[in-house]
Amino acid sequence: MLSIHELTHVYPNGTRALDAVSLQIPPGMFGLLGPNGAGKSSLMRCLATLQVPTAGSIRFGDIDVLAEPATLRATLGYLPQDFGVYPRVSAWDMLEHLAVLKGVAGRGERRETVESLLQQVNLWDVRGKAIAGFSGGMRQRFGIAQALIGNPRLIIVDEPTAGLDPEERNRFNNLLSEIGQTVVVILSTHIVDDVTDLCPRMAILVGGRIVSTGTPAELIAALQGRIWQASLERDELDGARRQHRVIATRLRAGRTVIRVLADGSPSPHFTPVEAGLEDVYFATLLEQREQAAAEAGPKAGSMKAA
Amino acid sequence: MFGHITRFEWRYQLRSPVFWIGAAMFFLMAFGATTVDTIQIGSRGNVNVNSPFAIVQTVGIMSVFALFVLVAMVAGTVIRDDETGFAPILRSTRLGKGAYLGGRFVGSIAAALLVLAMVPLAIAVGSAMPWQDPEKIGAFQITHYLYALFVFGLPTLLIMGAAFFALATATRSMMWTYVGAVALLVLFSATRVWLRNLQHDTLAGLVDPFGLSALFTTTKYWTAAERNTLLPPVSGLLLANRLLWTAVAAALFAVAYRVFHFETRHARVAAKATAPDAAPSARRGPLPLPRADGATARAQLLALARFDMGQVFRSPAFFVLLFIGVINAGLAAWFTGEFYGSTPYPVTRLMVQALQGGFTIMPIIIAIYYGGELVWRDRDRRVHEMVDATAAPDWAHLVPKVLAIALVLTATSLVAMLTGMAVQVLRGYWHFEPQAYLLWFVLPTVIGALQLAVLSVFVQVLVPQKFIGWGVMMVQLVAMIALSSAGFEHNLYSFAGGPNVPLSDMNGMSRFWVGAAWFQLYWTAFSLVLAVLAHALWRRGTSTALRPRLAALPRRLRGGALVLGGAGLATWVGTGAFIFHNTNQLNTYRTAPQRDDLLAEAERELLPFEKLPMPRITAVTMHVQLYPREARAVTTGRYRLENRSGQPIDQVHVAWAERLQLDVLELPGATPNKDYPRLNYRSYRLSPAMQPGEARELRFSTTLQERGFPNGRPLTRIVDNGSFLDNTEIVPAIGMSRDGLLTDRAKRRKHGLPADLRPPTLEDESGRATNVLSPSSDWVDADITVTTDADQTPIAPGYTLSDTTANGRRTAHFKPDAPINFFFSVQSARYAVKADKLRREGLPDVDLAVYYQPGHEFNVARMLSAMKASLALFGEAFSPYQFRQARILEFPAYATFAQSFANTIPYSEDIGFLAKLGGPEKIDLVTYVTAHEIAHQWWGHQLVPSRQQGATLLVESFAQYSALLVMERLYGREQMRRFLKYELDRYLRARGSETLEELPLARVENQPYIHYQKGSLAMYWLKEVVGEDKVNRALAKLLKQYAFKAAPYANSTDFLRLLRAEVGPEHDALITDLFERITLLDVKVAQASAKPRADGKFDVTLEVEARKLYADGKGKETESPLNEPFDIGVFSAEPGSAGFTDQSVMYFARQPIRTGKQTIHLVVDRRPTHAGVDPYNKRIDRNSADNVAKVE
Repeated sequence: MLSIHELTHVYPNGTRALDAVSLQIPPGMFGLLGPNGAGKSSLMRCLATLQVPTAGSIRFGDIDVLAEPATLRATLGYLPQDFGVYPRVSAWDMLEHLAVLKGVAGRGERRETVESLLQQVNLWDVRGKAIAGFSGGMRQRFGIAQALIGNPRLIIVDEPTAGLDPEERNRFNNLLSEIGQTVVVILSTHIVDDVTDLCPRMAILVGGRIVSTGTPAELIAALQGRIWQASLERDELDGARRQHRVIATRLRAGRTVIRVLADGSPSPHFTPVEAGLEDVYFATLLEQREQAAAEAGPKAGSMKAA
Repeated sequence: MFGHITRFEWRYQLRSPVFWIGAAMFFLMAFGATTVDTIQIGSRGNVNVNSPFAIVQTVGIMSVFALFVLVAMVAGTVIRDDETGFAPILRSTRLGKGAYLGGRFVGSIAAALLVLAMVPLAIAVGSAMPWQDPEKIGAFQITHYLYALFVFGLPTLLIMGAAFFALATATRSMMWTYVGAVALLVLFSATRVWLRNLQHDTLAGLVDPFGLSALFTTTKYWTAAERNTLLPPVSGLLLANRLLWTAVAAALFAVAYRVFHFETRHARVAAKATAPDAAPSARRGPLPLPRADGATARAQLLALARFDMGQVFRSPAFFVLLFIGVINAGLAAWFTGEFYGSTPYPVTRLMVQALQGGFTIMPIIIAIYYGGELVWRDRDRRVHEMVDATAAPDWAHLVPKVLAIALVLTATSLVAMLTGMAVQVLRGYWHFEPQAYLLWFVLPTVIGALQLAVLSVFVQVLVPQKFIGWGVMMVQLVAMIALSSAGFEHNLYSFAGGPNVPLSDMNGMSRFWVGAAWFQLYWTAFSLVLAVLAHALWRRGTSTALRPRLAALPRRLRGGALVLGGAGLATWVGTGAFIFHNTNQLNTYRTAPQRDDLLAEAERELLPFEKLPMPRITAVTMHVQLYPREARAVTTGRYRLENRSGQPIDQVHVAWAERLQLDVLELPGATPNKDYPRLNYRSYRLSPAMQPGEARELRFSTTLQERGFPNGRPLTRIVDNGSFLDNTEIVPAIGMSRDGLLTDRAKRRKHGLPADLRPPTLEDESGRATNVLSPSSDWVDADITVTTDADQTPIAPGYTLSDTTANGRRTAHFKPDAPINFFFSVQSARYAVKADKLRREGLPDVDLAVYYQPGHEFNVARMLSAMKASLALFGEAFSPYQFRQARILEFPAYATFAQSFANTIPYSEDIGFLAKLGGPEKIDLVTYVTAHEIAHQWWGHQLVPSRQQGATLLVESFAQYSALLVMERLYGREQMRRFLKYELDRYLRARGSETLEELPLARVENQPYIHYQKGSLAMYWLKEVVGEDKVNRALAKLLKQYAFKAAPYANSTDFLRLLRAEVGPEHDALITDLFERITLLDVKVAQASAKPRADGKFDVTLEVEARKLYADGKGKETESPLNEPFDIGVFSAEPGSAGFTDQSVMYFARQPIRTGKQTIHLVVDRRPTHAGVDPYNKRIDRNSADNVAKVE
């Protein structure tokens, strides 16, 4: 069980990246959903001991993470959002290097680990190639392989599927779901489907704050019957935005399909639709925006739709 | 569009840190060079600090340093967009390639020029500083600064800018561009070494892209007056160089323009899977768990060090650096010890010394460069988040990297060692001493560089950017050099500093490694502290700011790190204290400025005593107890003092050498009067006074010893094997002598001393009272006993009376059978001896011997034959040889000279013992040096001149002349031509750095370039014109009148008087020009042509221009009418070229040449190829290269 308590982080330039974040994360996959700049990566880095938060506490089992970062690291696997590689270094050598760093230093253990992981992530056939020449998907699979070295009990995966094609994304998510049975896996993403597919529990982070947490099913259930959809001409869109709480717009066959949040039927054009996790996410974002606009007063301009 | 891009680039550059750091560095460096006496560029001696010469040279040299700024600025503009990822956006706009490249090039060059403009600005500001010596500042002339910046700096910037712009465009890599810059610098310095011989001047001037060689060649013969007033003309070689390189730059820019494409050509292609091979069966079950035990730590250390080392070894930059280093080291080793065009046997010591000079920069670059690379690698490659989140302990980030650098440095040094061995093989020398390479070169190089690497890592951990870290290291290096030359010389605060370990084949490292080892330990301990701090401050995680890491320092400094750091600190402090005890308490630590202060004090306090009448030493008995292994010499002895002043003497002054300790001094009737402990000087009162003609005996005992080790140069005169002392180092002198006081005018002004301290002029007859070799005595009866270790041979001037060994000590007693100069040598070493005899009819035999280091047999036979030839010739031409023996004794290479004592010639192992005698086209250096030293048995040991101007004419110039006679007898006139060409070049070059004033030869004041180089030229031409026998007769008469006589001593006027009487009035003007004036000729063959005649012969026509100049002491010249005979020669090969022989000379005769243009007609039998006036460069011609022309 990972418990985060009142975690706050303020960067030296005054940016408040995390604002009193508290979360309880049980074993299994945990999805952390949020738009760009919501503070997901800051949270991930604090959990990965790469950044010391301004205030708050993090505990993993009986480890006080902030006081004993080294103890956590011994049982941590971390796949950063964006990572590079050394030039002219093969997948095998790099994985071996990281295994050594993680304390799997004996020759036999090292070999066993590297062999097993390269097969698990299906990179065995390219093990001698320089990682610098890998495609995005191969690189992410390498990333998860290194995160798995040494059987970690906490795995942090920061936006792993951004930029992957659907097939690679699938392959990657299958890998994740395999490992997310017994250990704590935190998956941060802005792709709702990843969470839908993989995570029994999730939280939504906006502006450095946790605005919603629970199982996907619970969150969807709360929205059931409140999502309405209509198909409009492009020039009707502005009017609709003024009249309704639009959570999402999408083009379909040249017409604009909008989804709005309303307790009852907003108008005859709209038909009720089944809510999905995406609606939960967009509705949450909308509420946050409305709240922020109300706080900022009349001066706040209109924000662009997500 | 172009203008817009240019302006944008200019503004962008002016905001970048590179610009500001560069501008600050350049300003400070030039300001330092202008205002600190000890770091002068181009303004030595009488040349003003703001002279046009100094300004141009400073800007020229700084533009070499500007290379790195230029690469960052100009090449950075090409790569910037790719690195920031902005390129696709920019390049898809309507922006044209021409405006894009051109605008950026112009904008960034303009910014770089502004950086370089800091140099003239700093010189202008620096010369206005109130503490400047007003005599070293000329009038402010804005044109000089603008000329330097725009005529010299700007073209270099454009050329270099275009070249690296092109390289950056082609490689799209900053690293490769920097590698290119380093390669250029190394090749630049290599070609300067390679082409330093004067026949390569033109080639060297052309191939130097900075134009410095061309500048040096153009101005090398400039005198102080010219340097203070003239700007180098943009013509001839300089213009050719600038044009050549501008064309190269334009071509490179054109190539870059062609190569540059907005589109990416080679996008990365994702790796394709190799053919699937048999995968090991997939395992089930958990993976191995990480561990944190000792075995893991050891395995981690090894594996990570191997990985980090692989990162270095696999980077192409490393191989480029290594390749450059090997080329540089190889060239340095190949050309080491070259002297008058002859090369030595490549013994390991010479190779090591060459590597220390030519290769040491590579370990420094590697330490600094890879210090930065390895610290920042994970961040630069964006691997740090992965790596920092691993459980690796903090040390695992630092220690393997330092270990990897250490191994890389070792490998690099071993490659240098192999380079040295390769040079030995190529030179046909097969005696390998790998252990000597390892101990003398590899080990100290690796230790020093590793300390530097740790400092580099530490700095990189502190600073927020790799480039800033490198900049800090550069500043550190420059600051170390600047500080040490400004008087901050102690190795206790000069990072990784330590005393040099003088090397010698006779002695290896001797005891000198001990001090160096203590300093190595001291700095290694300090580096350990730095490493522990770097470990505790290591960036882990995403925040890089220093402040939170400093705050966390106490928390991270725990356990093993703290123990290690504490041990390091304790060792550092402990060894520091021990070193301080050795360098500052057992020895005296005195910086160069403090030495000058002391000399100034000596002059103020003691110079008034110079004219006091003192008793003269007439007999010396001394016993030197040498303890070679203890670096100690205890001397006891007695002087017979005689009052020859003609008046009663009531005080005696005694002076002794700086390191010497005067234990006992007893003189009947003497009581100490005043002691000057800092100056090693003491006055005694005599009661009763010494009456004229009275003699008394002075007894003394002294100790010369080195205790512990000093900070600076150790006492190399007493060593395990090859001790060599002279009397001034071990016995007291009587009375005050001005020898060794400050002579540099600038220093004298700084200390408030009168402008000049010069020897008495020729007109000052009181100067004839003392001789130039020994101020305290005239000719003395000598009796010298030397005791040393039993396995060594003790030697001193005189015939051996006894030689006994008892109790492990060997004692030899020497006594000449006639009075000699009070100028003794004492030597002791484990010698091998080769003896011979000079037998002549009707004359007593002379015993000859060479005492040498076993293994240095190469030239011993040549030395003996040269001794024979010289003794025979001089005995016949001048006067009989006064001794029955002559010995040459090798001494260690701590100094490079040979010196003549009475029948005893100490001879450095580096001047002749290792010279490789080449074919007939090589100058036989061994015979030349030997003949010169044998000649001193006459010029110095028969005739000893007065302590006046012109003294060294009678000693050194005559010895040069005598040696030339021997060489001419043995090798013919062709060798003379080669030799004199070197002498002419060295004379003309040295004139410009004169610190006092250039004097005519007859008034030379111990100025080597005048008494050696000009002396050779003047005496040889005199002989050519008036005939050898007449010159020799004049010299013989001089000996007849003055040899072995006490005061009044002879001076140069006596010689000129005898010479004039001998040669007659028709040569009066010639003698005046050669000896009493500074005369320069400028003869040029503008054109030479040949036409066949009807009778098959050829008409040769020479168009000649000539003039004669008289220079004053500062080099200011006035023309004077010329009408003198000159050698005219017509040849079928170029004089000095490989194919030139006696058969090549078709016509050779003397004809008068006058001022101005003239035409000479000659007839020769065959078709000539070359013709010229003074073709063998016997005259002092300001431009000796245009004397011979190709015949058309």
